[in-house]
Amino acid sequence: MLLTTHLWFKFLLRRYAFDCHSYVLITVSVKWQKELYPAVEIDTTQPPYVFKCQLYDLTGVPPERQKIMVKGGILKDDSDWSKLGLKEGQKLMMVGTADEIVKAPEKGPVFMEDLPEEEQVVAVGHSAGLFNLGNTCYMNSTMQCLHSVPELKSALIEYPQSGRSNDLDQSSHLLTVATRDLFSELDKNVKPVAPMQFWMVLRKKYPQFGQLHNGSFMQQDAEECWTQILYTLSQSLKSPSTSANLDKVKELFGVNLVSRVHCAESGEESIETETVYSLKCHISHEVNHLHEGLKHGLKSELEKASPSLGRSAVYLKDSHINGLPKYLTIQFVRFFWKRESNQKAKILRKVDYPLELDIFDLCSDDLRKTLEAPRQMLRDEDGRKAGLKLKEKVPASGDNDVKMSDAEGPSNGSGESSKAALVEGVGSDKNAQLTGVYDLVAVLTHKGRSADSGHYVAWVKQENGKWIQFDDDNPIPQREEDITKLSGGGDWHMAYICMYKARTIPM
Amino acid sequence: MEPEPTNTASGSGNPKDDATLKVPSKDPKKKDDKKDEDLSEEDLALKQQLELYVERAQDADQGLQKVALESMRQEIRTSTSSMTSVPKPLKFLRPHYGTLKSYYETMPDSDLKKLLADILSVLALTMAAEGDRESLKYRLLGSEGDIGSWGHEYVRNLAGEIAQEYSKRVNEEATVDDLIELVEQIVAFHMKHNAEPEAVDLLMEVEFLDLLVKHVDKTNYKRTCLYLTSSARYLPGPDDTSVLDIAYTIYSKFEEFPSALQIALYLDNMQHVKQLFTSCPDLLRKKQFCYILARQGISFELDEEMCADDEDREALQEIINNTKLSEGYLTLARDIEVMEPKSPEDIYKAHLLDGRASAGASVDSARQNLAATFVNAFVNAGFGQDKLMTVSSEASGGGSLGNWLFKNKEHGKISAAASLGMIDLWDVDTGLAQLDKYFHSNDNHVTSGALLGVGIVNCGIKNDCDPALALLADYLDKEDSSIRIGAITGLGLAYAGTQNEQIRDKLTPILGDPKAPLDVIAFTAIALGLVNVGSCNEEVAQAIIFALMDRSESDLGEPLTRLLPLGLGLLYLGKQDSVEATAEVSKTFNEKIRKYCDMTLLSCAYAGTGNVLKVQHFLGQCAQHLEKGETFQGPAVLGIAMVAMAEELGLDMAIRSLEHLLQYGEQNIRKAVPLALGLLCISNPKVHVMDTLSRLSHDADTEVAMAAVISLGLIGAGTNNARIAGMLRNLSSYYYKEANLLFCVRIAQGFVHMGKGLITLAPYHSERFLLSPTALAGLVVLLHACLDMKAIILGKYHYVLYFVVLAMQPRMLLTVDENLKPLSVPVRVGQAVDVVGQAGRPKTITGFQTHSTPVLLAAGDRAELATEKYIPLSPILEGFVILKENPDYREEV
Repeated sequence: MLLTTHLWFKFLLRRYAFDCHSYVLITVSVKWQKELYPAVEIDTTQPPYVFKCQLYDLTGVPPERQKIMVKGGILKDDSDWSKLGLKEGQKLMMVGTADEIVKAPEKGPVFMEDLPEEEQVVAVGHSAGLFNLGNTCYMNSTMQCLHSVPELKSALIEYPQSGRSNDLDQSSHLLTVATRDLFSELDKNVKPVAPMQFWMVLRKKYPQFGQLHNGSFMQQDAEECWTQILYTLSQSLKSPSTSANLDKVKELFGVNLVSRVHCAESGEESIETETVYSLKCHISHEVNHLHEGLKHGLKSELEKASPSLGRSAVYLKDSHINGLPKYLTIQFVRFFWKRESNQKAKILRKVDYPLELDIFDLCSDDLRKTLEAPRQMLRDEDGRKAGLKLKEKVPASGDNDVKMSDAEGPSNGSGESSKAALVEGVGSDKNAQLTGVYDLVAVLTHKGRSADSGHYVAWVKQENGKWIQFDDDNPIPQREEDITKLSGGGDWHMAYICMYKARTIPM
Repeated sequence: MEPEPTNTASGSGNPKDDATLKVPSKDPKKKDDKKDEDLSEEDLALKQQLELYVERAQDADQGLQKVALESMRQEIRTSTSSMTSVPKPLKFLRPHYGTLKSYYETMPDSDLKKLLADILSVLALTMAAEGDRESLKYRLLGSEGDIGSWGHEYVRNLAGEIAQEYSKRVNEEATVDDLIELVEQIVAFHMKHNAEPEAVDLLMEVEFLDLLVKHVDKTNYKRTCLYLTSSARYLPGPDDTSVLDIAYTIYSKFEEFPSALQIALYLDNMQHVKQLFTSCPDLLRKKQFCYILARQGISFELDEEMCADDEDREALQEIINNTKLSEGYLTLARDIEVMEPKSPEDIYKAHLLDGRASAGASVDSARQNLAATFVNAFVNAGFGQDKLMTVSSEASGGGSLGNWLFKNKEHGKISAAASLGMIDLWDVDTGLAQLDKYFHSNDNHVTSGALLGVGIVNCGIKNDCDPALALLADYLDKEDSSIRIGAITGLGLAYAGTQNEQIRDKLTPILGDPKAPLDVIAFTAIALGLVNVGSCNEEVAQAIIFALMDRSESDLGEPLTRLLPLGLGLLYLGKQDSVEATAEVSKTFNEKIRKYCDMTLLSCAYAGTGNVLKVQHFLGQCAQHLEKGETFQGPAVLGIAMVAMAEELGLDMAIRSLEHLLQYGEQNIRKAVPLALGLLCISNPKVHVMDTLSRLSHDADTEVAMAAVISLGLIGAGTNNARIAGMLRNLSSYYYKEANLLFCVRIAQGFVHMGKGLITLAPYHSERFLLSPTALAGLVVLLHACLDMKAIILGKYHYVLYFVVLAMQPRMLLTVDENLKPLSVPVRVGQAVDVVGQAGRPKTITGFQTHSTPVLLAAGDRAELATEKYIPLSPILEGFVILKENPDYREEV
């Protein structure tokens, strides 16, 4: 097209060059963009198209793209020069470019506003909030924390809708189904979800949560809720097909403890083993850090009848961890029953907790041995990541290298392991070894002065590594630094339950 | 000295009188004995002396009388005193005032009687009861000697009494000639003695300001005019105009043409402007006039009478046409080193909000992309380059061409294409070339945006070839309404304030078109209002009125309908009473819109007048508690701001009144209050207003919050204010989930960083004296659109945000030499100080810093040259100022 225009223009020029004397020439100056072409001659006997061709030669703008400003608008190809009142030396302005005309891309961008809600979730980067149904923040925050465990979600998805095993009561089954539905609702929605069904079923199963006070539901202890739900799930998620002791919840959350019970008076000693779903962090005056509180919690005194003494005596119970879970739950024992005032009181003491927890020294000797090799590998990997020589790192104790590679470690580890867990399920244990190092993934906090009042909020780390504060229906992004500031010592939110995820190393 | 011979003369002449003299003088003395004890010997002597004179003055002997009176006068005149105490002679004469007065009545007419009248007039200064005006009475009866001989206090008192007497006589329709004579004396006295304000005040009282022209001279005309112009703001009705007329006359008399031009522009008196061009002989000064005219944004055609030489005239016209604005602005930008284009992310500064960073970059959000489009347009306004729109066309990869444009959805593309116009603002040649390719797009939205962009790029710039009209005219009657709106709005922006007849003829028929959809009609009304802003054009008004009457009941409920009364109002912007006829007609409208129309018309007509009565009227309207559905209080609240923004005092009062409305008003008032605050402090981030808006930006009512967020942007527009930027950043994370509010936050961020901080939106300029009508019109359209944010700005008419372009001006001082090339000189820039009515040559700025031009001027800043080498041709250093070399300047060795 351009070529032909050009040729035709040349032809026109040649044609009219012969008889210049027979027509009127007007000399004008033409302004195009920043350039000024002085002394452009217009042959007024020819149609304006000829003039445009002249300009095409000067500017390279094809005639059909040229817009020449004349009196009363744009110069048309069939305009009559005489009616335009052109004057000698007049300044004309030409607008136009030879630029390519903008075309819409064949595939337009997809806008978030057009997406269905499930896909928006991916874009938003976190799941939905939960509406408060009247003092149900303890339940909301518990569910948000548990919701962050992908293995639990996948186990629930496999849970059959109807076929319940015989030893499971109806209400437990309904609660499990409700939990499953609630989790999938949370994943599907961007807007907050109202956990109506779940709330009803929970009340049915555990009537204590339905207590009324002045006509409205009472605030409850989140820890109790947490424990009860986990208990129900542990009951219902026992897979009947495989061996009886294989319990999904236990596998995920259960901590095996081995305790030496020793009586100083009689010298009696016995070994007990038990499985708990959470470690307690006892808070006393000496406890400033989670680690100290955990140590404290693993030693206890109890009074029981001593067969050798024939009376009750004080026994010392000294526990060690003998089996590590994938998710380590730690409860800060902040609430205690104050006898003198007959109410549940709260300890406001500040107890720091790390983003990365190493519980190696709480483990039993047997467990320590099995942990040695994976830990060495982990240290090596950390060292590689930090770009340090391996030799230097070897003698360093666990506490030191724990602080390394804060940002990369957790996200990588959790990403891989969760994927691995989802795909391979039970078999993953063989490939991924626990190291005794844990990363913080969820914090359930309480704000207020007593357990049955105040406000519970969940702070959950998302898969993309971002922290979200789930304040009922309102998810608020938070910075990682701020998560460790929930350690108490004031009236701000303080950690009540922390959930850590094991850092594993593939073998 | 003198009393001595008098004493002896009287003693020898009339012994009998001597005796009588002593008796009365002793009587009061006994009574006053206790008081007299406090007096010093000197005072006692003076007192006795004066008593003696009083006695003598009543003597039958005329000679004696005369001597006594003259001595008394001498005594009074020689006594000077501070204003805080009564001069001694007057004090001692107090008891005798009555005596002298009654004696005066008995005297036959003579010079002596006049002499006594003079003395009585002075005595009345301290003696006469309030309101008796005896001083004046005796003055008029007296000898009419030099008025200043009795001192300032006497003159001042007399002036006060004249004012009272004058109003009394006018009421009684009595003659005032004798008073005027006296006034003339007083004015002459005041003007000679640095008391210009007093002279002006007196003349205003007696409504005879013309007299002033005779008495001003080279030394005092500046102070006089300063007082006149600043008092004009507080005068009612026609008085202010006459006061300014006098100031204009005085300025022209002393050839202070730029100042005279300012006043002519304030009065919107083109006759005066013409006269100035004709009477000024100097071409360079005329060029300066042109710069002032260009800043005011009015179109003005020079003719041969004003400038005989064709070439010169063309050069002058070019300045008026603002063709060099872009060049000057870029000079400033280069000097400040802000040429580097900025992306919206540079403005959002999300990295400072760690953890709350924009989630999920994987999917584009149309709303957020639209916000980015606007932010990009505002921030890079006028720089000709950016990182979204222009960059792709330069990149070699042809595939990326127009990429950003198509990251906007449907109507979003209108704003995206139009943003090119904003980026190339004022640079018509480049802008049109950039926009050209979008004209040929087969996407109607893109074409519409290109048309709008043409309007934006031409905003405030005039071109002989009229490219905007030529390009846009063809699209006015296209089928697609978005294309039509693009062309109509483009014309409105490009020709705002020109009163171009061609455009009027092209646009008015659209209003009558029964097939045209409501949005086309609404934008046509606005465009017509802008083009004919403040013209009171009957024809256009008729057309809009008919269009309003033709609307169906359901149309009247549409949010866009509000633009029709607004278009009508713009025709009368600042024209006060001229609106009355139209306002009367508007009373016949459908009651759905009647009140709304009434408020809009009133607020526009009195915009920028500072009329307190109108502010009260609007406040009264806001006090009503309405039934649901009435919306007229929104424009009433905006009206308060529009009227009160004229001067600082009224502005502060309005801010306080708005605080009350916030507390007691209902929702439709509350949501307009932030907008009104935004208009009052536009581009002037006052801290307390900032705090109020920050509080409101978290309001539970989203509409209030949105308005507050937008207003935060408006008050910080073009300032880069760090505090507002911080607030908005926090708001962006606070509202990260609420798309609508986040959009507003983004827009506000764009406003704050407008032109990378080189631009102001303030319609007031020239030291806050002149109001650019087109600038105000642009802001008012934007604010009215913000009254229904959801339907207009958050709907598909977001491009109304571009109306702000009318108010955009570089906030700079650019000094140029005689060839209009930029010239760098040192200037002091500081906070302006009000020097009205101050004696001597007070400092006009405080807390200044010395920079070299070009410099940025913040709100309330004033600049002065820090060198004697040049003489500025405009007394107000703002915008473009031509410097002339000072012939008397000697380089210091």
